[in-house]
Amino acid sequence: MNKKKSFLSAPGMASVLTAYAGVVILLVIFAIMNPNFIKSTNLMPLSRSICPYLLVGIGQGIVCITGNIDLSIGSVIGMSTMISATLICNGVNPILAILIDFAACMVVGCVNGVLVGKFKLPPFIGTLGTMTIGRGIAQLANNNYNTGDIGTEPLVTGFRNIFYYQRVGFLYISVIITLVIWFIFNYIMNYTRTGRHIYSIGSNVDAARLSGVNVFKTTSTAYLISAFCSFTAGLIMTAQAGMGNMQAGLSYEMYGVAAAVIGGISTLGGSGLLIGTIAGASVWAILQNGLTMANVPAALRNIIIGIIVVVCVLIDIARRNGILGKKK
Amino acid sequence: MSEYAVSMEHITKTFPGVKALDDVHLHLKSGEVMALLGENGAGKSTLMKILSGVYTRDSGDLVVFGQKIEGDLDTKKAQALGIAIIHQELNMCQHLSVAANMFLGREIVKGGRLDKAEMNRQAIEQLAKLGIHDLDPDTSVGELPVGRQQMVEIAKALLINAKVLVMDEPSSSLTNAEITEMFRIVHELKAMGTAIVYISHRLQELHHIVDSVTIMRDGKYITEGKFTDFTMEQIIANMVGREITNQFPRDTVPRGKKILEVKNLKAGKLVRDVSFDVYEGEVLGFSGLVGAGRTETMRAIFGADQVESGTIVLDGKTITIKNPEDSIRQGIVLAPEDRKKEGLCTKLSIRDNIALPNLDIICGRNFLGTINKKTENEMIEKGKNALTIKMPNADVQAGSLSGGNQQKVVVAKWLARQSRVIIFDEPTRGIDVAAKVEIYEIINDLKKQGVGVIVVSSEMPEVMGISDRIIVMCNGRITGEVDPRETTEEAIMTFATQFGDNAE
Repeated sequence: MNKKKSFLSAPGMASVLTAYAGVVILLVIFAIMNPNFIKSTNLMPLSRSICPYLLVGIGQGIVCITGNIDLSIGSVIGMSTMISATLICNGVNPILAILIDFAACMVVGCVNGVLVGKFKLPPFIGTLGTMTIGRGIAQLANNNYNTGDIGTEPLVTGFRNIFYYQRVGFLYISVIITLVIWFIFNYIMNYTRTGRHIYSIGSNVDAARLSGVNVFKTTSTAYLISAFCSFTAGLIMTAQAGMGNMQAGLSYEMYGVAAAVIGGISTLGGSGLLIGTIAGASVWAILQNGLTMANVPAALRNIIIGIIVVVCVLIDIARRNGILGKKK
Repeated sequence: MSEYAVSMEHITKTFPGVKALDDVHLHLKSGEVMALLGENGAGKSTLMKILSGVYTRDSGDLVVFGQKIEGDLDTKKAQALGIAIIHQELNMCQHLSVAANMFLGREIVKGGRLDKAEMNRQAIEQLAKLGIHDLDPDTSVGELPVGRQQMVEIAKALLINAKVLVMDEPSSSLTNAEITEMFRIVHELKAMGTAIVYISHRLQELHHIVDSVTIMRDGKYITEGKFTDFTMEQIIANMVGREITNQFPRDTVPRGKKILEVKNLKAGKLVRDVSFDVYEGEVLGFSGLVGAGRTETMRAIFGADQVESGTIVLDGKTITIKNPEDSIRQGIVLAPEDRKKEGLCTKLSIRDNIALPNLDIICGRNFLGTINKKTENEMIEKGKNALTIKMPNADVQAGSLSGGNQQKVVVAKWLARQSRVIIFDEPTRGIDVAAKVEIYEIINDLKKQGVGVIVVSSEMPEVMGISDRIIVMCNGRITGEVDPRETTEEAIMTFATQFGDNAE
């Protein structure tokens, strides 16, 4: 009894609940606007389209909790897509291709960790550099061309099915993969030493260091997690398109910020819960999908989403200040 | 017209909960250098902030050049009256030029454009009045040595016709040659008829420039007079003044074996060849003025700052400490000076804070480093009981606690592990008396358990009350070691101000 109460009253939980309330409200509004919205033929692909947003939300969210930011997310997605597709097109075994791709993406995470954690570059500048370099690598992968079709070999088809097309009952396997990844990182953030260290450096890096926390290692861990999430999102995009697109993942670092912030993670670091990112990513995907189904033109859609995101965060800030005000 | 440039009578100032100034007097003549003396926290800065309009007085009379100031003084009015302060930390825009800094906020504009030529001309003229002829007004201030920057600030003050100049610890960051130069300029200013308030802890240097002294203690006016009428002993006695009553419970434990040996530690300007030992069953106090290098010494031992050279021997074994992580593993821990900035993750819960340095114990060696809730709860419970931390539950934000309770959380962090040496840097700053006594009791308990305890404290009664032995530092060096049972505050103050006579 006591345990349940403390779960809901945990710091940051109020922001998370606000985000989930937002999801419910959006679902209701769009269901009223277009009855087809709530049908399983729409909701199942919708759940799948949440995956990349949730993945970058997890990665960016964890980096934000350390008090930093990762601008290289979109470029790592581009790298992941282009490297995997190029290798597969050139006849490399898809499993080996994914492993090579994984290694390449993790190197970017490492570099981010070294630049920010070791050389103390401002994270905005350090990851701006890796963002540009990463996009360059994505372009270089296939000599400045998008790749052709990755083919229909059994292993390739299997890869595309697992990461995009196949489902078990109502759930796409890609959704399951994403949720497993979320589960693992949520566990790490809430129940392990690494998670505590990540929160501590975001809250007060000096105090954390004087408490024996290895700031470099912890910062690097966060950037590596982020790179891993982007890598996975890239694979989903390769599987979906069946080819490599050099522009894949463009602006996704910002979608990650949006998912994290709507879900209640502060960009100032030290606070926020990963459970909020599911709601944050959902809000983003639902808005895209719902507005499309409501026949809102693309340009207007962007403007509406932008406004809603800003308003969501403003409401959250107002709510927090209100509570703080009462305390005083 | 009164004979004084500035006279302050019966000045009182109260901050919430503290009487910062209580019936204070100050009299300053034109063409005179007056030393304003007192320990840290005696109220010197508060008094000067009232003079310069940063704070407003609660009551008392303020007369500047015969003009009685009615109502509150603000910084603008004070400037118009010719009052200027040179702060210890200089207020300069490092990237702007000398002339740009001197004219900051009062730039000369001609036809909508900055008249740089005119500003440079006036800057050179002003500097020349101070006998400085070799300073290019186009140089960036950041490229100048600190002593030169100070000259620019003084020249800037003259530019606004400052007739009363307050210099707060002007010699603290200067080299010996720069101090000599600064004294020369003070003499120039005196000759021009400027009235100068000179605040400094470097008592040995005063005789070069000072005409009169005003001494304060605990927010009260103690005495004033001609500098030559006082002996150095009298000045120190007046600064320290109070009798120590036995308000600090000190349990005597037989001194055991040597735990920690620090040899020839060097780290930056404020840790210059520091050596000392810590024994079982004793509390080693560190006394000195603010900026004496005590905190820096402790941070160097703890691995928080880079060490240039030196050896640390713990229980007979030479150990290497590269960062706080190493230090904690080896058994040397530090409760830092500024709990909000360095001691606590204020956004995190009390639980998280207490557990943070002890996650190696809590997580044991399992695969992912999963937190063992049971061990953690036991640890929190133990810390809570040992220190009676007042809190609704362990999951509230540490930042929401009162200062005293926050400090207890910082201490509780370190009690959870078996450390060999615990360093407390200003353990009772800004906390109430009851919480202080609890901290003292913890310190005594640790001593009885055979833990080596180091206490850095700027509060003289505290360091004399709880220590078994006191090391005094000044300017990055150890200048004395005393037995608090046999010494006086005056003796400690003498060691703490042994800067030597640096002027030539």
